[in-house]
Amino acid sequence: MKPIDKKRQADFQIIAHWVNEGDRVLDLGCGRGVLLEYLKQKKSIYGVGVDIDLDKILSCVKRGVPAYQGDIRSMLATFPDDAFDRVIFSRTVEQLDDADAVLAEGLRVGRRVAVGFVNKAFWLNRLNVLFKGRRTVNEVYPKPWYESMPTNPFSVAEFEDYCDARRIVIEDKVYLSGDWRSECSKFPNLMAGYAIYDLASID
Amino acid sequence: MNDSEQAPLISDEGEVGFVEYQDFVSKEPFNFESGGSIPELTLRYETYGHLNAAKDNAILICHALSGDHHCAGVHGIDERKQGWWNFMVGPGKPIDTTRYFVICSNVLGGCQGSTGPGSINPETGKPYNLDFPKLTVRDMVRAQSLLIDSFGIDRLHAVIGGSMGGMQTLQWAIDFPDRLGRYIALASGARHTAQAIAFNDTGRQAIISDPEWKEGNYEPDQGPAQGLAVARMMAHITYLSDVGMESKFGRKRRSGDQSREHFEVEFEVESYLRYQGASFVTRFDANTYLYLTKALDRFDLHSPESLDATLSSVTAPGLVVGFTSDWLYPPQGNREVVEALLRLGKDATYAELAMDFGHDSFLLRAPQLYELMHRFLSR
Repeated sequence: MKPIDKKRQADFQIIAHWVNEGDRVLDLGCGRGVLLEYLKQKKSIYGVGVDIDLDKILSCVKRGVPAYQGDIRSMLATFPDDAFDRVIFSRTVEQLDDADAVLAEGLRVGRRVAVGFVNKAFWLNRLNVLFKGRRTVNEVYPKPWYESMPTNPFSVAEFEDYCDARRIVIEDKVYLSGDWRSECSKFPNLMAGYAIYDLASID
Repeated sequence: MNDSEQAPLISDEGEVGFVEYQDFVSKEPFNFESGGSIPELTLRYETYGHLNAAKDNAILICHALSGDHHCAGVHGIDERKQGWWNFMVGPGKPIDTTRYFVICSNVLGGCQGSTGPGSINPETGKPYNLDFPKLTVRDMVRAQSLLIDSFGIDRLHAVIGGSMGGMQTLQWAIDFPDRLGRYIALASGARHTAQAIAFNDTGRQAIISDPEWKEGNYEPDQGPAQGLAVARMMAHITYLSDVGMESKFGRKRRSGDQSREHFEVEFEVESYLRYQGASFVTRFDANTYLYLTKALDRFDLHSPESLDATLSSVTAPGLVVGFTSDWLYPPQGNREVVEALLRLGKDATYAELAMDFGHDSFLLRAPQLYELMHRFLSR
């Protein structure tokens, strides 16, 4: 395994820190299965990936990661409560049709849920809109709007408001600054480029 | 991490070329799940590639309802048609015969050389016909395991099959978890839908209501040709799709239809189906058709307890592939198998290919299917 040097793998180490040895892990929107492969090596997990795109499933097959091609919501509905120790949404929530319902399902099927997302209210994103009138394009999101997936971005403050409204327990959280590497502690809604939450439901 | 990691499509493909079938004969009585038995059995099979010294490179391919043991190569120089999965099996192909020893056998109950209703019962000197014991997918698989034993193979590298072959594959994974390294089930499922049973029974009724069927006791070279042809025509429609038929035939007419009688062949699609029906009766036995369709209708992994309970014995990693346009064994039926396997914490993958050719999509050469098979077998 190469050292984690890619921006798109920003949340790998943090999630690996939250995952326990031998956990059953479900990665929703798993892409090419890189995170699950990483967790398998670090924590000997049993991991399953879900993605809608056949091309991504092909990569998972190559990596030896079990994968399920299909819709996240209907797949979750086939699992009993607490079927997984950990459910992961790594840059997935912003692409869901009904984020509220799917997150609730994730919290039902997983004992703990990790959610990582790009903070829409990060100062650079604000400036890009304010001065350039354009959204931020970077190495992880290089494509213009007309070539990328429909997305419903949100901010750290908006996500925490949501957790509060739905009485979702934030067990832990990590804010990363604009480089998605170093931690940032102050004014996260303005200063964090990326945020990762460890969630649990009240029960 | 990006599209560049996609391997190019495999080039340097070869052909398995000329092949010959073999017959495996077991002189031991074979007991069926239903309680019946036959004093001996024959399975006709073909092999491609070479069994290595460790005997751990064998792949078993399970054929579909109307398929047979001849899945690759040709039998002779004048044979125009190659085996039914020739594009998938051969040197450099996903089921690579330079690496794997590939075995494909005609199923128990079949009519292409394996013991079935049309075979002579050694105890009476006459064909079994309807005295042949009730057949299940589990019986087919257990007969195959005897063939595998005869090679001295303890553990297969993989078991692979589509449609009825996919159901055999799942049964292999359930009944012989220690004897396979992985499995691939294409266009199959845990059980027939009501619609699939309905189609099968309509086909069976076409056969049974043909006076030539004679309660199953027709002479070997005779039989309910009309009934079997109609059964095949109808079944063949279920193997295709609306979109596939529209693009292949549309409303194209045969030339010179004006001079013909009102109910003669007028449209291309009629011509195609009638040809399918007529050619099927030259190679297929009506009683086998009844037995195999019934075995498929009764196949039910949800029984006796639940799908999860049935699949709990599986240990090998599996790949299940559904096809979007398959309305005979729809994606949902394939998907539910993987959902159950994942609930049980098994290593299972579900992929769904967007192909327009209905149930028979797995028999067609498609780059994505190629990639999927190749990667899963070599991982």
